[in-house]
Amino acid sequence: MTRGVTRRPLIGLVIPAAVAVLFIALPLVGLLAHVDWSNLPSELVSTDVLTALRLSLECSAIAVVIALVIGVPLAYLLARTSLPGRRVFRGLVTLPLVLPPVVGGIALQTAFGTTTPIGTVLQHLGIVLPFSTAGAAIAEAFVGFPFLVITVEAGLRQRDDHLEEVAATLGARPWRRFWQVTMPLAAPSIAAGAALCWARALGEFGATITFAGSFPGTTETLPIAAYSSFEGSGQVGEAITLSLLLLAISILVLVVLRDRWLGALR
Amino acid sequence: MTLHARVQTQLGSLHLDCDVSVDSNVTVAVLGPNGAGKTTLLRVIAGLAPVATGRVEVDGVVFEDTESRAWLAPEARRVGFVFQDHGLFPHLSVLDNVAFGLRARGMNRDTAATKAHEWLERVDLGRYANSRPSALSGGQSQRAALARVLVTDPQALLLDEPLAAVDASGRLELRRALREHLATFSGVRLLVTHDPLEAASLAERVIVLEEGHVTQEGLFSEVSARPRSAWIARMAGLNLLRGAVSGDQIRLEDGSSLTVATDVAGPALATIQPRAVALYRQAPEGSPRNVVRCKVAGVDPEGDRWRIRLDGPFPLVAEVTPAAAAELRLADGGEVLAVVKATEIDVYSM
Repeated sequence: MTRGVTRRPLIGLVIPAAVAVLFIALPLVGLLAHVDWSNLPSELVSTDVLTALRLSLECSAIAVVIALVIGVPLAYLLARTSLPGRRVFRGLVTLPLVLPPVVGGIALQTAFGTTTPIGTVLQHLGIVLPFSTAGAAIAEAFVGFPFLVITVEAGLRQRDDHLEEVAATLGARPWRRFWQVTMPLAAPSIAAGAALCWARALGEFGATITFAGSFPGTTETLPIAAYSSFEGSGQVGEAITLSLLLLAISILVLVVLRDRWLGALR
Repeated sequence: MTLHARVQTQLGSLHLDCDVSVDSNVTVAVLGPNGAGKTTLLRVIAGLAPVATGRVEVDGVVFEDTESRAWLAPEARRVGFVFQDHGLFPHLSVLDNVAFGLRARGMNRDTAATKAHEWLERVDLGRYANSRPSALSGGQSQRAALARVLVTDPQALLLDEPLAAVDASGRLELRRALREHLATFSGVRLLVTHDPLEAASLAERVIVLEEGHVTQEGLFSEVSARPRSAWIARMAGLNLLRGAVSGDQIRLEDGSSLTVATDVAGPALATIQPRAVALYRQAPEGSPRNVVRCKVAGVDPEGDRWRIRLDGPFPLVAEVTPAAAAELRLADGGEVLAVVKATEIDVYSM
């Protein structure tokens, strides 16, 4: 029930709020208004767009896998153990969230660049990260995996370890408890975290272009392709098509996550 | 089979220090107020809570011994723990819940499923095998939890407040059903409850645990007839007095004396049934020996007996009929004389 006092809103707040809505809506409307709907189908299947899309899907998928493999264990340890320095680790994990992506890209370059110790070792193993597809995936994982860690950790914290205790008294060893109890119960938050991480990875621009550059077919993902066609070749039409594609994917993620993630904020 | 647990541990403000022995084939209830350390005791036995010093042994198997630094992980102890919330896994079917312990101990999928099914039938839940635990009522989920531990053939069965998660209307029937299921298990049976009725109906013996210490143990009837702590006395509805007897006088802690009829001498406890306390506004006729001057501290109407709380040299509860309470205007408070016959005071040594 709405309380009587707040039922009539303050006019002074309505105006800035309306501006806020327009602020979000107008660019979207502008984007949609400039779409050349008749040529859209053919542009969507043009080689350039398809190449960028395939590359984006590839890199973001690899980024999610990396995030899952290293992010879920970290989330578990942060949520369930009294690891010394846990606060520091948690702060460290959230850093990529606020760090300007360009800084992330430069930092990755200084850690994994071809002239660095790690980069040299990797090179001997035949792996070159900078300006390669693998590098683009790494950059996307770097920026996206905090979303997964934070979501999964929150999901694990929501439940205490009572059911793991129950499993222990039933004779389940630690790994069985982890796979049969902890993970299935955390599955919804892992899925939500993976989706957020994927969405972030898909839209990643700054860290990727800094660390991996923009080579069509190798590191030029959807956002980078959109930027370079907009800025460089002046093909505004293609930039808009690519933007529309990214917008559609973003809305899809929102719809999929609306209950799980946005519901928690409600 | 026996369970032997000697436990000393500090948990928050609770200092648990108790020594408990439980024989198999007898259901033993650990009875005590909330926060007495009952659940902690069970958790220590199951290996879920640490002890400072102590030893837990079931049927010759040492679960824990701080002296020899022996410690078995919870999963290696053959203990069936039925948790207060039953602890069913929400993501597994009822059948998979019951099969969980068998699978965890290495039984193959088909054999485990067959055995789990047998147990579900035994607790009358066969038709819920493929349901999720959320589809079960409180009583059903308790039976599922019981089947889940009994199917693993544990050495000891531990139940934490077995009827707490069940709504009151179903308890009568459940208590009976639970007692029958407990009787089919021949190992050590230890349950924990704050409800005297539950202890009386489910267990043959009770161990009273208060503030981490065992205050009394024995048959329920013995414990409730001759309580050794204020909490048990209150639970049994008795007035409990503490003092020292010499001759036909018991001298109480507050300095006052009562005349008693007993052979006991020395430090003793005495109980008085509330209905044996007679109340008067003016000194009664004759010369009763035990007249205690009190103030009415409260009146609790309970059916055809009203409980009158009295403040005097020692606190006392009297039970009178509503008619008597009205005639004496007890609801107005004020001073009353409480009279107790010497023969109505049950005295036993401390």
